[in-house]
Amino acid sequence: MPLFGYAGNYDGMNTPSDAELLAKWREEPAPLLPLLHEFHERDGHLSENALRAISDDLRIPIADLFGTVTFYHHFSRDPGGYAHARVCTGPICALQGADELLAAMPNAHAMPCPGRCDEPIPVLDRDRVLCGTTVAELAARPSPLPPAPHPDIEECVFAHIRTPGRATLAGYRATGGYSGLEDALCGRPGALLDAIDASGLAGRGGAGFPTGRKWRAVAEAAGEPRTIVCNADEGEPGCFKDRALMDYDPHAVIEGMIAAGFATGATRGFIYLRYEYPDTMRILETALEEARGDGLLGADALGPGRPFDLWVRRGAGAYICGEETSLLNSLEGQHPFPRNRPPFPVTHGYEDLPTVVNNVETLASVPHILVHGAEWYRGLGIGDHAGTKVISLSGDVARPGNYEVPMGFPLMTLIDDWAGGVPRGRKIQAVTMAGLSGGFLAGEALDVTLDEPDIRSKGSFLGAGGIMVFDDSRDMIEVAHSAMEFFAEESCGKCFPCRIGTQRLTERLHGDGPPDIGAWIDEVHDLGDTMMQTSACGLGQAAPLITESLIRYFPDRVSRHVAESA
Amino acid sequence: MSDNSGNGTGFDFEITLDGEKVGVRRGESLYEVSERHRKEIPTLCYDPRLEAFGGCRLCIVELDGARNPVASCTTRAESGMRITTRSARLDMHRRVLMEMVASENRDTDVDPLSGYASQEMAVLLDRYEARTGRFAGARSGRSRPDDDNPFILRDYENCISCYRCVRVCAEQEGDYAISVMNRGFETQITTEFEGLLGDSACTFCGQCIQTCPTGALADIKALANADVPGETEKTRTVCPYCGVGCAVDLMSRGDKLIGVQPAMDGPANEGALCVKGQFAFDFVQHPDRLAYPMVRGEDGELHETDWDTALDRAAAGFTAAVEDHGRHSVYGVASGRAPHEAAYMMQRFIRGAFGTNQIDNCSRA
Ligand SMILES: Cc1cc2nc3c(=O)[nH]c(=O)nc-3n(C[C@H](O)[C@H](O)[C@H](O)COP(=O)(O)O)c2cc1C
Ligand code: SF4
Ligand code: SF4
Ligand code: SF4
Ligand code: FES
Repeated sequence: MPLFGYAGNYDGMNTPSDAELLAKWREEPAPLLPLLHEFHERDGHLSENALRAISDDLRIPIADLFGTVTFYHHFSRDPGGYAHARVCTGPICALQGADELLAAMPNAHAMPCPGRCDEPIPVLDRDRVLCGTTVAELAARPSPLPPAPHPDIEECVFAHIRTPGRATLAGYRATGGYSGLEDALCGRPGALLDAIDASGLAGRGGAGFPTGRKWRAVAEAAGEPRTIVCNADEGEPGCFKDRALMDYDPHAVIEGMIAAGFATGATRGFIYLRYEYPDTMRILETALEEARGDGLLGADALGPGRPFDLWVRRGAGAYICGEETSLLNSLEGQHPFPRNRPPFPVTHGYEDLPTVVNNVETLASVPHILVHGAEWYRGLGIGDHAGTKVISLSGDVARPGNYEVPMGFPLMTLIDDWAGGVPRGRKIQAVTMAGLSGGFLAGEALDVTLDEPDIRSKGSFLGAGGIMVFDDSRDMIEVAHSAMEFFAEESCGKCFPCRIGTQRLTERLHGDGPPDIGAWIDEVHDLGDTMMQTSACGLGQAAPLITESLIRYFPDRVSRHVAESA
Repeated sequence: MSDNSGNGTGFDFEITLDGEKVGVRRGESLYEVSERHRKEIPTLCYDPRLEAFGGCRLCIVELDGARNPVASCTTRAESGMRITTRSARLDMHRRVLMEMVASENRDTDVDPLSGYASQEMAVLLDRYEARTGRFAGARSGRSRPDDDNPFILRDYENCISCYRCVRVCAEQEGDYAISVMNRGFETQITTEFEGLLGDSACTFCGQCIQTCPTGALADIKALANADVPGETEKTRTVCPYCGVGCAVDLMSRGDKLIGVQPAMDGPANEGALCVKGQFAFDFVQHPDRLAYPMVRGEDGELHETDWDTALDRAAAGFTAAVEDHGRHSVYGVASGRAPHEAAYMMQRFIRGAFGTNQIDNCSRA
């Protein structure tokens, strides 16, 4: 593998100069991240000279730019750093021997889950993802498609995803793509807003906010231009649904964004894509080119003289940049701390102007609603629950992968009947919810249906729909420790309870806490309670669900842990 | 400020603060309203001169209808809100937050000469009885003993990542000399490329020192006088260096001037100073400073003398210069270190005695 001695992406003659790179991006929207990536790839790291050139050109104070660059884990400041491979040591890959693979690769670094939990261990090698459990096995391959659906269930976002060629404009159109949008563009924006409202579509990125209400708020907010942001950061460990949608159905996301633009009066949009999806980057760029070539984007996208255009911007390895206000700061080239809310992005978003931020899955649902109608979508859910949800299922199940289930579907039916149950004759010990953010469910709490009210009644939440399964051979202290370590590494450092609390909880799960079980539990509860109630954003508010659920479901294991580390 | 309610109070609407209806001006934060009513809400990342940041979370209050307490510094008051600034739950969270903060620092108590705000953390640790030693673990922040600048101690092992220093440098001083690097528990205050302050855009205005709530950034010159015996006395005066007129508090012990702090309520400066006003006070009690008149003797050296002798010599010199070269050969410059009365006397003297308007002051720039 060409992992060593890498000095940059160009061979001598074609290397662009600083001036050329700056000229290429200076007038583009949201230029900082792409410029940093260009220099990073050209030089193999971000040198002091590169940062000074960018600082001068974009007029960002050099100390600020330096501090911001150090925030992102994928920007290397050491010569050759860009070429150092990153190995996933996330919760699922840890079960597959990630530590051994990492040790076998000189110069490689650990990285948190890059959203490939339905495959052997992923390794990020510059702009490629390789998968394998040993160095010899590592090979690039396309990301997995969702497993075949259950015959009795009607899908929404996955309905055409397995049709070959769906990712191309021709293939997308052949399966009905862009027809809903074209009809909608003949009507009024208000009618589109009403349809989204009536469908009951709610955010699929974690918070579940009603999409129609969000769009209406932006349509009614003062200030122009308005912006549509597709949140494709998918940084939550154990979540890889947006990857599948973008890799195999990119035009559905684009169609959803154009529809959002029409409904809200926006003229521009960004897809903020996590760095760990380089293949997806290329797929999206190709799809955007096709759409632009076909007039779906550009000067007359929403009708004669009514422009709408889209750009992809890549993050650089920061989970918090999936939080919508941190994302907006990152796009703008600011330090990616989350913003204080209110005001919300619907009135003060990108460049402080009205902005829709929607998850990939939310936006990809829209074309289907446009074709089949609001009633149809609402009816896909079970009982009062509207629509469907993609669950990224991974860990100790026979068939990991992305499953689209009706809202309100029983968890254990998904695990046992659809995904083939727990392998090797083992029993299920626990699952995580919302990737890691929802903490654990175990025992009787596994008897839950996949919808927010039921999962919240168990003290957890569905969130973006990542569920990791751990069988009864797994050490839950170890799982909890690595989960908390993730939150500690990803905490942005803005607020005290999360910055200090995630660190202290990690230490206590590592065995460095008070030796007395009573004192240990008091400390962990007090830290958790204050983090949940006073943290400035969802990261710090959710992280203690790991420790709280650990103590609730595994009290004996916790006692043993404290006794052993005393 | 508008008064839409027409009730003549100057307020736009009301909220309920700890059970009492109080007036609010549009745009005020819950914290600002509470402060007006002396609620003494604790804060560590707050500086009234800076945009509210919402980092320390100590300023949380209960807001009716909200599941979690809200940060009062970043929450705008809206008509009809009902908030509570003290409760058992708030006290519990504030105490836990203070215990957390104490656990990440090397010292919880620093010399008050460190800086104007340096006692904020220690005061709150006492108020919330948070010196319990709970939550012990790794400490955060790397100090920079290698930064040999003569003014600012960079002792980040006592830093609590409130970012007041970074924000004051950007928002008040406009220098953007320092910033936040890394994230989470690894956050660290830095200059460009982790260099020394002297190689950065820093102008050594000292504002970061004076807003630091822990003494992580500290006034090296004042701390050098920590051993001077006696109580610190503060005397309000105006910085003599230039025409801005920054208000300062001179700190002294006995007869010795030991340091300068900006007056946070100085109308011209609101806590800001420049490097001269902040740090350049050594001249006042410097051994080289003239304390008596001297004249140059036949041997070319200066010798102590009495005032009459000295003034006669000066008058003779001026008279000779005017006789030889005319009245415009004289040019008077008042020292920036002289008081206003002396500067006034100087211009009266030059104009009256010599008849020239050639007067100036070294602080005119
Ligand atoms: C720490 C954190 C990380 C988040 N990461 C993501 C993410 O990767 N993708 C996403 O769509 N939403 C993420 N969110 C939720 C977003 O803030 C926001 O609610 C969402 O993008 C809104 O889109 P939706 O209404 O379509 O769900 C995250 C939130 C938090 C607090
Ligand atoms: S909760 Fe954590 S991630 Fe969110 S603002 Fe606070 S420190 Fe940052
Ligand atoms: S002394 Fe002034 S210019 Fe220098 S870092 Fe502090 S606030 Fe900024
Ligand atoms: S050095 Fe002082 S002012 Fe700056 S972040 Fe640290 S504690 Fe706050
Ligand atoms: S890809 Fe490794 S844990 Fe998700």
